[in-house]
This record gives sequence, structure tokens and C-alpha cells, in this order.
Amino acid sequence: MIQLIHVSKQYDQRLALSDVTFEIGKGEFVLLMGPSGAGKSTLLRMLIGAERPDEGQIFVHQKNVTTIRPSEVPYLRRKVGTVFQDFRLLPKKSVFDNVALPLLVQGVSSADIRRKVTEALRAVGVEHKRDQLPAGLSTGEQQRVCIARAIVNGPVVLLADEPTGNLDPALTSEIIELFKLINARGTTVVVATHDPLVMMQVNRRVLTLSQGRLLPEHRGLG
Amino acid sequence: MRTLSYLLRESWVNMRTNRTTTMVAILTTAFTLACVGVFLLLYVNLRTAAGWLQDDVKIMVYLDDRLAPDSVAEVEQRLRGDRAVASLLFISKEQALGEFKAQFPSESHLLEGLGQNPLPASFVVALSPSFRSPDAIKRWAERVRQDSGISKVDYNQDWIDALATVIRSIELVAIGIGVILSAAAVTIIANTIRLTLFARRDEIAILRLIGATTSFIRIPYLLEGAVLGALGSALSLAMLKFMYELFRQQMRTMGRFAGLDNLIAFFPPSVCLALIAVGMGLGVAGSFVSMRRFGEAKA
Repeated sequence: MIQLIHVSKQYDQRLALSDVTFEIGKGEFVLLMGPSGAGKSTLLRMLIGAERPDEGQIFVHQKNVTTIRPSEVPYLRRKVGTVFQDFRLLPKKSVFDNVALPLLVQGVSSADIRRKVTEALRAVGVEHKRDQLPAGLSTGEQQRVCIARAIVNGPVVLLADEPTGNLDPALTSEIIELFKLINARGTTVVVATHDPLVMMQVNRRVLTLSQGRLLPEHRGLG
Repeated sequence: MRTLSYLLRESWVNMRTNRTTTMVAILTTAFTLACVGVFLLLYVNLRTAAGWLQDDVKIMVYLDDRLAPDSVAEVEQRLRGDRAVASLLFISKEQALGEFKAQFPSESHLLEGLGQNPLPASFVVALSPSFRSPDAIKRWAERVRQDSGISKVDYNQDWIDALATVIRSIELVAIGIGVILSAAAVTIIANTIRLTLFARRDEIAILRLIGATTSFIRIPYLLEGAVLGALGSALSLAMLKFMYELFRQQMRTMGRFAGLDNLIAFFPPSVCLALIAVGMGLGVAGSFVSMRRFGEAKA
């Protein structure tokens, strides 16, 4: 599903990624660990075509992201859902409208939008908040809405960049359980985090980045 | 359908959010386009007037005095067969003398002393509409002048040339001012759209991340530009119409120009629509310029 072959990236004098090679299979749940500045976000941005490596090749869902044309990037992103630490919800739109956005940009019919958004909101447990504005939600609820938006169009991969960075331990557990559920339905999930608490809850592959280099992989302790 | 309504709604929201900027943009675009409109109106009316005057141009084709009546008929035949000639009127030597005496009664004794009628017979020629431009008249006169049996071809060339020069000058000024002020309108709209783009940069970044295509992101801003341009253009036409009516009223009240007010015309509806479409086009161009510079908050 995801394949990186000798990927390197440098910003000015700073090495963000150095000769990173790994493969993530379909339906896997992988934790991408490492301290801040280790290159996790750069790697995730590369997977959605927002950055290009200086060297190496990246494949996502059989598509070579390194050579992708700018006009193809939106179609890649429709297959890859993204969840952010800061949620990135539109403050003036309701929960329903925020989650409907990925479907709107694809020209999905009104009836299908209603059905899919309701399903996504139900899956993350915020269906009852559908008409509220993001400002009226707790941080945990906002993150759930962000996850609903990421899964609403049934992506093949879900990327989460520090999804629990703004959450307390109890909410962190809830969100991780949610990711496990989404993964159980067949979606490949990659969670980038520096939070050891997440590793304690997930007994899956852990890829660790340190100063842009990939360390030997191990399994989570969950 | 939902996508379309979303795009329209976004465009409307953009304009409502930046109400003051939108109003200022519409007003400044309207004033700018009204300046262009004044020249355009002047140009259109002068062209119409020039057309009337040019339609009235008559060319005198004077015949050789030694020409036999058969040859006169031959020249007439030749002129009638010319596709540039719309109508033809023969004036015999006697008619020419009669007209001279009628027009200049106090000078008629000058001709009596000569013993015989010195005035030549002539044809008064009116050309077809497609041959009435100054250049075409000149070419036609030069060609006919070479023909046998014709001694002279006369028309008021200086006057026609002067009129053509005035119209060409106004045309050039109108084009020059039009280009400069249109660029100003594009810049005004571009700046307004840039403010909207800046205010919504986070939203644009999110749209990019969730797989919106460039055209999906651009459409609300292009629509906004089109609406600003169209409204600005429509308002400029309303302002021009108001000034036009005021001008006509002033002309009516001034005795010297009474009656002339009916000769000046406003743009016909088709031209008004075309000008609104041009305003719309300028607005879209403004949006486009802004988006290219802004890079639509690339993610």
C-alpha cells in the first residue's frame, strides 16, 4: 500500500529524511514514532504529494508519488484521509458541512452526502453534534469530527499527524481505539506521534525516526 | 447540484464577508469603466455623425466639353455599370448655368461677357455604402479621373480627410484610455480578491488537503470577480445614462442646440450587454491574476 525506497529530503542545511526505506502493506496499522523534528510530518506530507523527496521513490496505492503531476495530486488525496493535531476544521461551518467537504469536492450527490456523512459521524460517535459549529465542541469531539472528515469518502489509507497532541490520556485512548476500529474495517492506518502513551496502547508495527533516519523497527506494547 | 450550490454560496459568502471592500471595488470599477464609457459614447456618436455626413458626400464628375452626345451616353452607361455607384444625376451645361445663376444672381453677369456657356456638363454621383470611406472615395475618384471623356472629378477631399483624422484620433484615444483604465479595473478587482484569498487562506489549504482540484478552489473567486466586474460595469452604464440624459436636457434648454439632442444616442441594449460582459471578463481576469500571485495557499 505504501512503499518508500531510499527516500532523502533536506531543507537548506537540515537533513529531514535520510535514506528511508520501508513498506506498509494493505490493512496494516503502523505507528510512526520519533521526537519532534525527526521527520515524521515531512514523511506524511510526502505521502500526500505536498512535498517531494530529493532522492528516492515513494509509492502510495501503486501510484508513484515522486513523479505525480500536480493535477493528479487531488485524486491521490481523495484516496488518503488525513487527520491533524490542530484538527483544521472550518470554524464557520457546521460539523455536518465540515465532514461533507471531501464529498462535495468530488461532486457526490446530496442524498449520498447525507448518508455517508451520517455514517461517518455515527462511526466516530458525534452524530448528535452534526448541527453545531466546531467552536462549540470539546477538543476530543473536534478530533472525532476531523477523523470523520478523513474517513467519510472511504479512503484506502488514513494518515494521522500527532492526532493526540492536544488530548489528555483518556481522550488519547478513545481516539486510538477509534483508529483501531477504522483499521479493522480494512483501512491502512499510519499514526505519526511522539507520545509514548500511544505506543503503550497499540501492539502493532512501530517505525521510529530519529534525526531523519529510520531505526530498527519493533512492535508496540499494547 | 449540491456542489454547484456550494460554490455559489461560497462566492456569496466571500462578498458578504468583505462587504465594504466589495462595495468599494464595485464603485471604483464603475467610475473607471464610466471614464472609458464617456470616450466610447463620444466615439460612437461621432462615428454615427460622420456616417451621416459621409453618406451625403456627392462626387462631381465633369465631362469633357468637346464630348459628343453619344459619348456622354457612353460615359453614363459606364458609370451606371460601376458597382461603386449607387445613384447618378446628369446635369447638362444649360442646367449648370441655370443653377449658377440661381445660386449667384449678382455674379451672373460675369458669364454673360464670355459669349458662350463655359460651365461643363457633369454627373452628380453618390457612391454605394461600402465605397463611402475616405480611402475608397479617393481611390474611386482617381480611377474615374483617368477615364476618357472625363475632364475632372471633384469632391470635398480635405473636409473628408479631416473628419477621418478626427475619428481616427478619437478611436486611438478611446483605445488607449480603454486599455489603461481596463488594466486599472483588473487591478482593483485583483486586490479585492486577494483580500478574500488572504482571509480564507486556511480554508483553501484545507480544501487542497482533502482533494479539491484547482478549478474547484478557483470557481468561487472567479465568480466573485465576474460579479464584481459585471456590477461595476452595470453601475457605470447607469451613471453614463444619467449623465447622457442630463446632457440632452441641457442641450434642449439651450436654444442654439435645440433639436440636436435627438441626434445623440446612447448605447443600444446589445452594446450595453456586451459592455457588462466585458466588465465580467475584466473581473474574471482580476481574480485570475490574484490567484496566480497568491498561489492559492499551496499545500
